[in-house]
Amino acid sequence: MLQRELEAIVGERNVLWRASELLVYENDALPGYRRRPRLAVFPGTRDEVIAVVAALWRAGMPFVPRGAGTGLSGGAVADDIVVLGLQRLKQVLALNAGARTATVEPGVVNATLTKAATPFGLHYAPDPSSQTACTIGGNVAENAGGPHCLKYGVTLNHVLAATVLLPNGEIIALEAPRADRAGYDLMGAFVGSEGCFGVALDVTVRLTPNPEQVVTLLSVFSSLDDAARAVSAVIAEGVLPSAFEMMDNPTIRAVEASIYAAGYPLDAAAVLLTELDGAAAGIAEDVQIVERLSRACGATDVRTATDAADRARLWQGRKKAFGALGRIAPDLVVQDAVVPRTRLAPILAKIAEIGQRLNVRLCNVFHAGDGNLHPCIPYDASDADESARVHAAMKEVMELCIAEGGSITGEHGVGSDKMAYMDRLFATESLDAMCRLRDAFDAERRANPGKVIPSRHCREWMSVRGVEA
Amino acid sequence: MTTTSITNVRDLADTVRAAFEDGTPLRITTCGTWPESLRSVRSGATTLDCSAITGIVEYIPGDLTLTARAGTTLAELEEATARHGQWCPLSPWGTDAGSFGATMATATRGPLTTALGAPRDLALGIECVDGTGAVIRGGGRVVKNVAGFDLTRLMVGSWGTLAILTEISVRLRARPAVDETWSVPLDGDGVTERLHVLRQGVYAPLACEMFHGAAARAVGLSADAALVRLGGNAGFVAAARSALRTASTNAAPHDPAVWTRAREVHAAPVLQTLAGAIDRPLDRRVKAQFDPRHILNPGLFAESA
Amino acid sequence: MTARAPLPGSELCVHCGFCLQACPTYLALDDENDSPRGRIVLMKALAAGTIADTDPFVGLHLDQCLGCRACETACPAGVPYGQMLEATRERQASVRPTPLVARLVLRVFERPVVLGIVMFGARVLRATRLPWLLAKLPGRIGASMAMLASTRRPGGGRARVALPSSTVPAAGTLTKVATLDGCVMEGLFASTNRATERVLAINGFAVTAAPGQQCCGALHVHAGDADAARALARVNIAAFEQSGAALIAVNSAGCGAMLKEYGHLLKDDAAWRERATLFSKRVKDVTELLADVGPRAVTPSADAPRVTYDAPCHLLHAQRIADAPLRVLRATGATLIPLPDAEQCCGSAGLYSLVEPSLSLRVLSPKLAHIANTGAQVVATGNPGCLMHIGAGLVRSGAHAVARHPVELLDDAYAAERTS
Repeated sequence: MLQRELEAIVGERNVLWRASELLVYENDALPGYRRRPRLAVFPGTRDEVIAVVAALWRAGMPFVPRGAGTGLSGGAVADDIVVLGLQRLKQVLALNAGARTATVEPGVVNATLTKAATPFGLHYAPDPSSQTACTIGGNVAENAGGPHCLKYGVTLNHVLAATVLLPNGEIIALEAPRADRAGYDLMGAFVGSEGCFGVALDVTVRLTPNPEQVVTLLSVFSSLDDAARAVSAVIAEGVLPSAFEMMDNPTIRAVEASIYAAGYPLDAAAVLLTELDGAAAGIAEDVQIVERLSRACGATDVRTATDAADRARLWQGRKKAFGALGRIAPDLVVQDAVVPRTRLAPILAKIAEIGQRLNVRLCNVFHAGDGNLHPCIPYDASDADESARVHAAMKEVMELCIAEGGSITGEHGVGSDKMAYMDRLFATESLDAMCRLRDAFDAERRANPGKVIPSRHCREWMSVRGVEA
Repeated sequence: MTTTSITNVRDLADTVRAAFEDGTPLRITTCGTWPESLRSVRSGATTLDCSAITGIVEYIPGDLTLTARAGTTLAELEEATARHGQWCPLSPWGTDAGSFGATMATATRGPLTTALGAPRDLALGIECVDGTGAVIRGGGRVVKNVAGFDLTRLMVGSWGTLAILTEISVRLRARPAVDETWSVPLDGDGVTERLHVLRQGVYAPLACEMFHGAAARAVGLSADAALVRLGGNAGFVAAARSALRTASTNAAPHDPAVWTRAREVHAAPVLQTLAGAIDRPLDRRVKAQFDPRHILNPGLFAESA
Repeated sequence: MTARAPLPGSELCVHCGFCLQACPTYLALDDENDSPRGRIVLMKALAAGTIADTDPFVGLHLDQCLGCRACETACPAGVPYGQMLEATRERQASVRPTPLVARLVLRVFERPVVLGIVMFGARVLRATRLPWLLAKLPGRIGASMAMLASTRRPGGGRARVALPSSTVPAAGTLTKVATLDGCVMEGLFASTNRATERVLAINGFAVTAAPGQQCCGALHVHAGDADAARALARVNIAAFEQSGAALIAVNSAGCGAMLKEYGHLLKDDAAWRERATLFSKRVKDVTELLADVGPRAVTPSADAPRVTYDAPCHLLHAQRIADAPLRVLRATGATLIPLPDAEQCCGSAGLYSLVEPSLSLRVLSPKLAHIANTGAQVVATGNPGCLMHIGAGLVRSGAHAVARHPVELLDDAYAAERTS
């Protein structure tokens, strides 16, 4: 019996099978999306992971890898299969300050890695809002982003190598291509594979030197349109902020009502949080450009964070914004669409129109510099009429973004939540090619089956539950 | 050896599908500036000349993104983007007569790679025709995108052995306000080490390449020297300049045109080291999924059976 | 299944998981069932009746919660975790027996006479040096003996003596402050209570007693016995009202957090609701009072001790007081060394160290390592549970550092200044 076999590998307390103890593993951080696993197993060492995956392979049992369960696409949950939790593998295996690399186990928390690198003046650059909780393994699976990815790049650009365990037990050393080595970039293919290709046993990442100077600006606007134009103007001028974030009025109000009140003006239609970093020489010029262009686009106020504490406060408000929005109503939907930066202003206007027409509270808090929108709607799921309007609004927003040449996800992943939009973005031939790439890693579809690609586009049909309306 | 010229994706897909059905090996070229790179392709293969699949499809300067067909030359990209004070910082080893598609298919780096990113870092999306004749798209045109499994990374650098790239979207950069080139004589006394430290520091140059002996002469340098390119706003470059002078008191301004020659000189040794191998079961399974009959550039990678 | 009232506050949780790394038991056990998010799921299911109150594994995960409320500080949605936990423990107490050792302690703390006898016995035992000999024993005996040993203060007087007259404002304009004695504080840390009174007086407060006060009830609430806590709360509110003090000074973070929540505890009691709310507003941690007036500082001396500060959860997370103790410590002239992960629970958590000894020690062990790395001679922390748990850990590991209350250190500094 599988449960006993797994218990023999990892110990009894590290295999959960009671319905009550599996409850929390029915969700990731996408609210309202629940799937009931059969078992959850938590190996504590690399060898235990290998033994567990081997046992699952022999039993013909698919699994869904899970780190901290902070994903926002319903990717780390599944019905009736095994949750393979990797949160116990949390050793920083090596940290080479000279080479600026670290090798970590998949369960190491993003912020913990930065903490380990801090004494050497280094940090791990990708900084998703969940960085205090999310794991590097999960970051690799989702190709996680974050505000500072505008300048520093996403997870893909920071992963140098990984040892990957495929569902069939094969262990493969993957490496990002280097100047002196050709070959298929399977490291690149693995990053962002959403747990569908296998699990990383260790990951080697690049560490980034801390900038010499950081300047954070808060620009206040009396219209969303002005703020969006300021973003385009700054980027077009050739200034590359390390982060360029926008929050609209409903988001500002929610944040200011929470314990993370950051001092954003309550009457502002939008605020932009702009961060410039790097060598001390030269930052002043960029700061002036941002100030000048922001004011030229109609900013009513532009202020610079006075010190580290002030900067931290401005950022806390942004990083905890989703939670703060969660306070407004019992439920919250968050989307993750990307649009061309130059289309931000008209798209935000259309989104506002959709919100008004369908009478939902559409809020925007997002990575403006990347054009990575996070429209969200606080609502009450127990109100059937409101729920229907919320989902209709989100569908319209996503379709708008697709029509504008954008993408349905910039950093949260497709998971279960966005599968329905995949065939709006890609033709069947392309989706089939994605399935074929997965088949090279996992022909039996044992790792996180039924995610990312709607099955009808793969040559092999697998039974998948439809996405919840 | 026959050569077929292709002008559009549809024709390419039809041609490859026919070759797939017949098992005809195909040798993929565009501008043909690197004939030696395809030397190991099995003899007797039909040459598919894709240089006519060309042109910029979409360029929105405000978005700092560009989509162009594979046969577009680097020179054309350079010209189009320069007009808007931007560049496509691929600037690979070799010449700008080479094609966008070949640069991405071979993931060829260049002097700007360390500072501005390798082809895999700049690529946003691709269109390609695989070894069965299927037209496939991956990624997109926006700067951040995780929709679907990453066919873009798979195809960039696969040397046309999984699919033939037909269109690529890349991110662009604004050209730095100040961009200047310096030569630093490699006259011993730890200058190499100091340049290395400079490259790791906050005033890292856009490019720093060292040329010795015959290579130095070929580039037109009178002795062994490093070419250093400093770029950024005025304040940054002023500070970087003084950091460079601290590293070497003999650093002297140099004509930036030297980079054209430097890229050509450096290209040959780079191509030689790129003879990779596809030797793992996983590599072979990937190959089997996208080019099951091994018709695309057969023999290019040392494919073990 | 009977229809049940939903769990107030639980609807705020968006399941984001930001709380996981703030939770000492998740860090130790790596199971989300032992994380705030997991426990909220369990508590909601209990409240909804979808899992049985008698499910032993659910009980285990809830029992393993330290109640440190570090998750509340990490939560972007402001989920009132502590209140939800207390409400759930109250429900659970009716179906699952409280552990014997906990019941025993709770009943003792409710009875002032019995409590007095127990504490007297403890002091007699402490005077024998026996606790030091037994401290190395495994299990609860050794732990309790080490705790007792750690409370000894050389030369610290118990007796209430005349307070030094204040130097700053003129008599008559002083703010009248009543002090909470605290069961453990007065029983085992009486010298700290006297130090608190002296330090308050020196900083311009008129200190008065509040006779008739009893146990604050915090341990009862944590154990699910809210009714006993409510009874104690009514007694205390009356006693402090009687004292005529404008403010209530508390030097025990756990008690202070409880007193500040009397308004919530008695929210359903129409006769007491308003009195309780008013009372709670007047409660201040002693460091909070001192920081407000800017404590009189002592000139740092060459031989100032190296001190590190560990934040009691019920001060930092429950009362959200972070800087005040540091301001008090700076006033002592000590050399302050930052303690890594000072915001993490030490594992004491009221009765937890007695009820869940092994997990409690697992949580403590990284704390002791961090303390050792600072090289500090003194760990300052303003809560008796933490003083004893960390103190016991130091005693048992043979460390040279001792655990002290910040106000005790300020009192020592004032005394040293007077004699020099």
